[in-house]
Amino acid sequence: MTKRIFKSIFAVSLIVLATCTGVTLGILYHYFGNQLQKELKTEAAYLAIAVERDGIDALEALPAQAERVTYIDEDGTVLFDNVADSESMENHAQREEIEEAQKTGSGTAVRNSDTLSRKTLYYAMKLKDGTVLRVSSVQYNLPALLRGMIQPLLIMLVAVTALAAWIASRVSRHIVDPVNALDLEHPEENQIYDEIAPLLTKINRQQKSLKHEIAEAKRQQEEFSIITENMEEGFLVIDAHTEVLSYNSSALRLLGAEAQTGRRSVLTLNRSEGFQNLIERVLEGKHMVTNLEFQGRSCQVAANPVWKEKKVTGAVIVILDVTERMKGEQMRREFTANVSHELKTPLTSISGFAEIINDGFVKPEDTKKFAGRIFKEAQRLITLVNDVIKISQLDEGKFFCEKEDVDLYEAAREILKRLEERAAEKNIHLYLYGPHVKVNTVKVILEEVLYNLCDNGLKYNKQSGSLTVNISEVEGNAQIVVEDTGIGISEEDKMRIFERFYRVDKSHSKAIGGTGLGLSIVKHGSMFLGADVKVESTLGEGSRFILTIPE
Amino acid sequence: MRKRFDQQLEELNVELIKMGSLCERAIRRAVELLQNPEDTRVSDVDRIEEEVNHKEREIETLCMKLLLQQQPVAKDLREISSALKMISDMERIGDQAQDIADMARFMQVKEIAHKIHIGEMAEATIKMVTESINSFVKKDLKAAAAVVKYDDVVDDLFLKIKTELPAMMEKDSKNAEYYIDLIMIAKYFERIGDHAENIAQWVEYSITGSHQELRQE
Repeated sequence: MTKRIFKSIFAVSLIVLATCTGVTLGILYHYFGNQLQKELKTEAAYLAIAVERDGIDALEALPAQAERVTYIDEDGTVLFDNVADSESMENHAQREEIEEAQKTGSGTAVRNSDTLSRKTLYYAMKLKDGTVLRVSSVQYNLPALLRGMIQPLLIMLVAVTALAAWIASRVSRHIVDPVNALDLEHPEENQIYDEIAPLLTKINRQQKSLKHEIAEAKRQQEEFSIITENMEEGFLVIDAHTEVLSYNSSALRLLGAEAQTGRRSVLTLNRSEGFQNLIERVLEGKHMVTNLEFQGRSCQVAANPVWKEKKVTGAVIVILDVTERMKGEQMRREFTANVSHELKTPLTSISGFAEIINDGFVKPEDTKKFAGRIFKEAQRLITLVNDVIKISQLDEGKFFCEKEDVDLYEAAREILKRLEERAAEKNIHLYLYGPHVKVNTVKVILEEVLYNLCDNGLKYNKQSGSLTVNISEVEGNAQIVVEDTGIGISEEDKMRIFERFYRVDKSHSKAIGGTGLGLSIVKHGSMFLGADVKVESTLGEGSRFILTIPE
Repeated sequence: MRKRFDQQLEELNVELIKMGSLCERAIRRAVELLQNPEDTRVSDVDRIEEEVNHKEREIETLCMKLLLQQQPVAKDLREISSALKMISDMERIGDQAQDIADMARFMQVKEIAHKIHIGEMAEATIKMVTESINSFVKKDLKAAAAVVKYDDVVDDLFLKIKTELPAMMEKDSKNAEYYIDLIMIAKYFERIGDHAENIAQWVEYSITGSHQELRQE
């Protein structure tokens, strides 16, 4: 803009300068021509007076440098000339100005010289005696005049041009500076040129809408990232060159990668064979759902290609951690298999005994013994089914029981009493210590948990061992510790003993009895009560089950 | 122009990661085979090795194209030249993994393998390869330095195996040829460790512009 204004101003000044100079020169030239004519006339008049009084001698005194003066006789013979030699000059009678002077008393003529660079003005005057006095002067024409003045003219031109340039640059800067200094953040506060005001208003309006749009875009972006960040599932968006466009922290966690700067390939996050294949396939345009293993966790990875104009421009990948689900499924499968097995064993015995009796192979006196076997197996079945029902009820959380104040000491005492007989069989000593701690909880379930813990302690105890129940209050929570002197539990088994039907010593399960659901009931029951169960154990020496019940 | 170049560099990066993971896979399969010779996936190692060779050519072409068309300088040039060196190391790892697999195929006395430190060495080597590729992927100087240092562990294990074997050979002379195979396998592992170390050094070079080795001396 500055440049343009400068150029315009500069050009205008130059054009004005040139025109002015031209016009002035023309006018002046014309004016000086007239002036010269007048001077010649005056000079001739003076000279005429002198010649009429003193004759030709008056002319002799004229200096050679003065205007050219010619004195001509009536017949045209040159009598005197102060520049040229009068003797050698031709007859002037035919000259235009002389003829005119002879006729009218005065005459003028203009004759261009041969070189055309100058012209000569003549003025002739007829004297009283009939002779003619002629005065002439030379005027240079315009180009010649200019040629003569070229140096000062050029100097002036350069000076004026420089001046024009300087002024033009100053002026243009003066015009543009306020525009440059415009505060575009607040367009409407500027008050410089009225012409710019509409533009500023428009800028203002656009700025506002732009701000609004940016805020909107930012809000959407934030919304999106908040949503994806809070997703448990890993979320990845990649382009056709496998570069990651967007990801959430769950994706990094599941893939076992670290946050990265800049746009990098998704393969820098994970380069396992399965993942590479998946990326390759999805970018070929195939929808993929596979199970992959990342860092020992099984994940379900779903990948969808993104199409644009029949070309795959990227892919969206969602990663789901299905480890727990797989584990759950595995456990359910095992549970079903175990339940069927456990149910089948007593049923087979019952069916077998009944068949033998039915076939009449049993002596009448033995029938009672067989009936006893059948009864025992049926009892075992009932216990098992009861346990399964209890577990499913606990599982579903459907126990509808009111909470009441339970004296833990009393509860434990009752349970130990119920187990006394069984303890006596193995000659196990039962001990109970502690104060009467009262807890507000569901009595039936608490008793169930405690019973199973003590029952467990008896079952796996050795001959003449002991079972100790210790009740105490720790940090405001009631705590029951059931300690036995049994076979103990190894480190690997500790994780699994609470699983349904899990038996540490599978080969002796029949001899020990029980359904394999006892500790599972303990776990689910304590979960129902909001209590916590911990196991400490030394293999071969005994185990400690610590049940902590919140007040 | 620069954007296109960056894209090509990233492409090179991705190809290198792919080749690196192929190497990891090759050596892991070879080790699996060593631990369980009845495994039928021997041909798998051959296939991976072939893929590695193919990738090497591909990356080489890509590097040449980048060098000629973009005439990179400074860090870009270092990245490309170290890529060129890295792929030859990776290719060697693939080759040697295949060699191990070839030998493992005929090793019928796998109990011997359990008696010496070869399993440990295999694990250490796999770890080195994985870590060296990791250091490249993450452009992690510390990880690269760790790999270089870890090479000593592999070297020590090789020496251990070397001292263990003669005594065992004496006792079990009828299986002598397997012991020779074992020492060769150990040597291959040791070489793979060296190549992994080289890769880590090239990672260092491409980031810093100088070699650790030279700086230490």
